[in-house]
Amino acid sequence: MPETAAVTGLGLVTPAGIGLEATWRAVCRGGSTARHHPELEAAPVSIACTVPGFDPRVHVPAPRPWRLDRSTQFLLTAAHEAMAHAGLSTEEWDPSRVAIVIGSAAGGVATLESSHCKLLESGPALLSPLTLTGFLPNMAAAAHLALGLGVTGPTLHVSTACASGATALGTACLLLACGACDIALAGGTDAMATPLCAAAFARMGALSRRTGEPEAASRPFDKDRDGFVLGEGAGVLVLERAGHARARSAPPLALVLGHAATSDAHDPVAPDPRGHGLRSAVLQALRQADATPGDVGHINAHGTGTLLNDRVEAGVVRDLFPVSAPSVTSVKGTLGHTMGAAGAIEAALTVHTLTTGLVPPTANFHAPDGDTAGIDLVTGSPRRQHPKLALSHSLGFGGHNTVVVLGAA
Amino acid sequence: MNTILEHITTVLTEKFEVPADRITPRTMLKDLDLDSLALVELQVTLQEDWNIPLDESTVTPELTLGELAGVVTALAGPEQESGHA
Repeated sequence: MPETAAVTGLGLVTPAGIGLEATWRAVCRGGSTARHHPELEAAPVSIACTVPGFDPRVHVPAPRPWRLDRSTQFLLTAAHEAMAHAGLSTEEWDPSRVAIVIGSAAGGVATLESSHCKLLESGPALLSPLTLTGFLPNMAAAAHLALGLGVTGPTLHVSTACASGATALGTACLLLACGACDIALAGGTDAMATPLCAAAFARMGALSRRTGEPEAASRPFDKDRDGFVLGEGAGVLVLERAGHARARSAPPLALVLGHAATSDAHDPVAPDPRGHGLRSAVLQALRQADATPGDVGHINAHGTGTLLNDRVEAGVVRDLFPVSAPSVTSVKGTLGHTMGAAGAIEAALTVHTLTTGLVPPTANFHAPDGDTAGIDLVTGSPRRQHPKLALSHSLGFGGHNTVVVLGAA
Repeated sequence: MNTILEHITTVLTEKFEVPADRITPRTMLKDLDLDSLALVELQVTLQEDWNIPLDESTVTPELTLGELAGVVTALAGPEQESGHA
């Protein structure tokens, strides 16, 4: 049995603000961060949830942050908070025993878009030499963090679309379990609220069209849901071998007891309506945690607010937990869909639920439809609950299903 | 020339975060602790700021800031010496 991974630090940059506390306050209030964005007006849908007041020169703990894509700036900021939370310093760790595993759906897409525009406008002579180091996914989502921290262990970027952040946590646990590292900075980042991405998602019909009422647009599991709202941000969790955390007297916030990943092999973007892949991921992850569905007290759902996702996810929850009925929430009503960051941000918030005994409500939920009824969705205000075991679900285009099992420390 | 050198100094201190006390006309670019891509970014920045065809092979690590200002001045023309393009 491999050693359990302990979560010892959390760091977030989200549309609710910079830092775990700003995000936690916002999700517990249950309002929405979606706003109209004039810079997205070229796209059919111009509403998004973006990080407010982010000033790279102030918030990014790195020299010359203008050289980095916005997603990388978010990542470095979140990682800095997570390390401080864990009481970790680069002077005290062995950099060869540290891994970095970060997920993103799109890498440095904002840099790619602006560089392409520059090339068309001005020709190659004025194209920045930082174009590739800005947008290559391994650079945007992992290598710049390793460079900044001097980490010499494994550095990986993983991509499973909107499940990327959760896939990164699972991959980091594998690296810890096989002895490749003692500490892993794992998480996700994306900054896809760009004209190209907004237009592309709108063209495929994934975005909410409630443009006249942005605050009401992201409504997971609600009967009037009509798509997700594009978001951005980053989440980083410090994971350690439990023995390593004990040896340096770092109190675990929670334990990663299991994780599993499956593939639908069904459709390029639509989830399998039968939910076989998600169901299988939940059961595999619980088996790894030596737990049963009856042990699960809470689920932080993927809950995007699209017709199909919420139908499938609610169906799997009803089917797998007919008696125990764990509480369910989706923070995407507040934060929008932060893409490859979502799995990490939501895992971090699930850890915070375990440590605080509070489940944040699902914003904008008023009533279920026939597809989403029959689950114990937390709505309106935070619910006081002390689950011992919680799940974080993440699904991604391509048919990715990732489930992380988190246990109270 | 002085104005151009002042402009280069501003770019180096504000954009590239080089400490001002390390910048003199005799300082070579290689002594500014800039990484492999920064010299090219500096060349692109000056090219764009002054609207000049500054070739990247000109901006070598051994070039001093005074020499760089001279190259920019030659390309920008004497009328630019007293003001920004």
